[in-house]
Amino acid sequence: MFEHVWKKFRRGEYDDSLRDVIPALTKRMLRRARPRTDELNEAQGDFWAVRDVSFSVCPGEVLGIIGPNGAGKSTILKLLTKILKPTRGRSEVRGRVGALIEVAAGFHGDLTGRENAFLQGAIMGMKRAEIARQMDAIIEFAGLGDFMDTQVKRYSSGMQARLGFAIAAHLDPDVLIIDEVLSVGDMAFQERCMERMKQFKARGVAMVFVSHNLQQVSMLCERAIFVQNAVSAHGPVQDVIAAYLGSATTRHTNVTGSPIDVLEARLTDASGAPVTTVAPGTPLRLGVDYVAREPTTDFHFGFVLYRSTDNGVVYDGGVQASEVGLSTVSAGDRFHLDFEFRPHLARGQYHVECHVFHNPSQSYLGRLAPAGVFGIAETRTYQGVADIELSCTSAARPDAESQRVVPASGW
Amino acid sequence: MPHTLSRLGSDLREIAQEQIEYHELLASIVRRDLLLRYKQTVMGFGWAIFMPVLNTIIFSVIFTRVTRLDTGVPYPIFAFAGLLPWNFFSSSLSFALGSLTGNSSLVTKVYFPRELFPISAVVVSLFDFLVAFTVLIAMMVYYRIGVTWAVLFLPVILLVQIAFTIGIALLLSMANLFYRDVKYLFSVVITVWMFATSVVYPIDRVGGRLAAILSLNPMTPIIDGYRAVLLHGTLPALRPFAAATVLSFVILAIGMLAFHRMEFAFAERI
Repeated sequence: MFEHVWKKFRRGEYDDSLRDVIPALTKRMLRRARPRTDELNEAQGDFWAVRDVSFSVCPGEVLGIIGPNGAGKSTILKLLTKILKPTRGRSEVRGRVGALIEVAAGFHGDLTGRENAFLQGAIMGMKRAEIARQMDAIIEFAGLGDFMDTQVKRYSSGMQARLGFAIAAHLDPDVLIIDEVLSVGDMAFQERCMERMKQFKARGVAMVFVSHNLQQVSMLCERAIFVQNAVSAHGPVQDVIAAYLGSATTRHTNVTGSPIDVLEARLTDASGAPVTTVAPGTPLRLGVDYVAREPTTDFHFGFVLYRSTDNGVVYDGGVQASEVGLSTVSAGDRFHLDFEFRPHLARGQYHVECHVFHNPSQSYLGRLAPAGVFGIAETRTYQGVADIELSCTSAARPDAESQRVVPASGW
Repeated sequence: MPHTLSRLGSDLREIAQEQIEYHELLASIVRRDLLLRYKQTVMGFGWAIFMPVLNTIIFSVIFTRVTRLDTGVPYPIFAFAGLLPWNFFSSSLSFALGSLTGNSSLVTKVYFPRELFPISAVVVSLFDFLVAFTVLIAMMVYYRIGVTWAVLFLPVILLVQIAFTIGIALLLSMANLFYRDVKYLFSVVITVWMFATSVVYPIDRVGGRLAAILSLNPMTPIIDGYRAVLLHGTLPALRPFAAATVLSFVILAIGMLAFHRMEFAFAERI
């Protein structure tokens, strides 16, 4: 539960030696004693790191928190876990809280993996007997069988993170708070973590999940909030991700003043109407305007399609300028290209980048990203990228009985 | 006023609840600190004995060869009986001092009562104290000092000392978190404090106005108390010891409350 929470931070340095504090104190006493307020004192560099944020999470629900760096995501988690106290508002968590804020925070390099597991478990609120009982499962989960009696300072960072998550994964919390921890560990381990979180969810654990991996957020959460110190968007996860991706803070590269500028682009359907979300395979058209600033020859028009949630390249291609009758352009030429394509894609958010690429020098002449943004809506896939138009038929096999292979005798 | 009282009450209840809820964690942190101490050092528990023994030898040379000091009991055992509890006090404080700043990764990342760090520092030093106590017993046997029923009062003295030490440890560790100068100030203050306590000489030899100031120091009745019950077989002098007891528990309460109320600022200021 998070009700209208505000958190004030101060930029710059605190006085943390007595040398600084004595002049500061005398100054304060000479002036009229000013009561401590929860108002912002901008002259002293105060700012709101978290401004009027509210949300609540029910058991069995996963709330995703997304936003750019420095948007207050981790601060929100620290307020939730009582590490920080809100300047205004109220934050309340009912039940046992497991926090995966930095999995290896409690580790001490000179202790062995096993000793650290006991300590870390205790820090996370487990009873010693409980940890002892779970120890084998923890070792198994972390995949550190032979290293549990080695000092943690000899571990690789991936091993430390794995041990940390393995301990946390064997907590029995009512509320789990997860901050950007799944980015460590190899693919197989990440897979295991996602699996574990789904189990927690099924068990009715309320979770708050902070990540920059929007793909993981969209797979795990039903609802999300997009914060930029204040809440910029909240609601169903796909909508919030779309809002985040569409916000100005996400990468916008538009190289201007280059030999060939990509001026603007318009994404429409076949009839010319603008689109936001379409079904897989819907014919789309991207109309792009270019202007040449310098005479240029031997280049191509690039068309790159990304899945926005993880910036994975779905398609990277284009056309040679000569193919569309523009083998040479001179300064001041303006021209328009219409790209037509069918996105046979699974549900999610996608965006297109358009660029002009000079073949001999292997360099960009101009680039616009995102040139077009769209979502795909369908309900058939669980995850994945491509819509492969899967179909399936069934037919009765009346002769199935007679075709069963009978093992020859003598085996 | 009623508001202040009710807030005090709810704070005390919270403190008590947290101590009960997290007692296993305290045990784990103590275990960690002990493990670390005896893993990284060759002599392990030997260090607990070495320091007070070395100091006893030094002061015995000074006060028996250089100048004679009449203490009623053989000087070495007089000094050791003072240095042993003093060492417990001063090493608790110096461990506690850095206990919050040294665990900054935990303080800023995970929530649990932060009192556990300075308290654990005191408990770890208590282990050293108990180990070194065996040397005191050996010395008592050597000097043929018999024990009387007064020795039953020993746990009370130890309890008062622990209360006082934890109170000071909480305040110091917190102060050091906010102002790192405290660390340097501490090393000066603790040396002066030792000579202002009857650790290596009986403080009642000091007279005049200075004596009045020194009598405010609760460590003197505590250390004199150890000597009374162990070496002299009598109870500690009633009035100074009672005063020290009250003061110790007042300091403990102030330390606990102040710590509890400032805790929220730790993660921001560390």
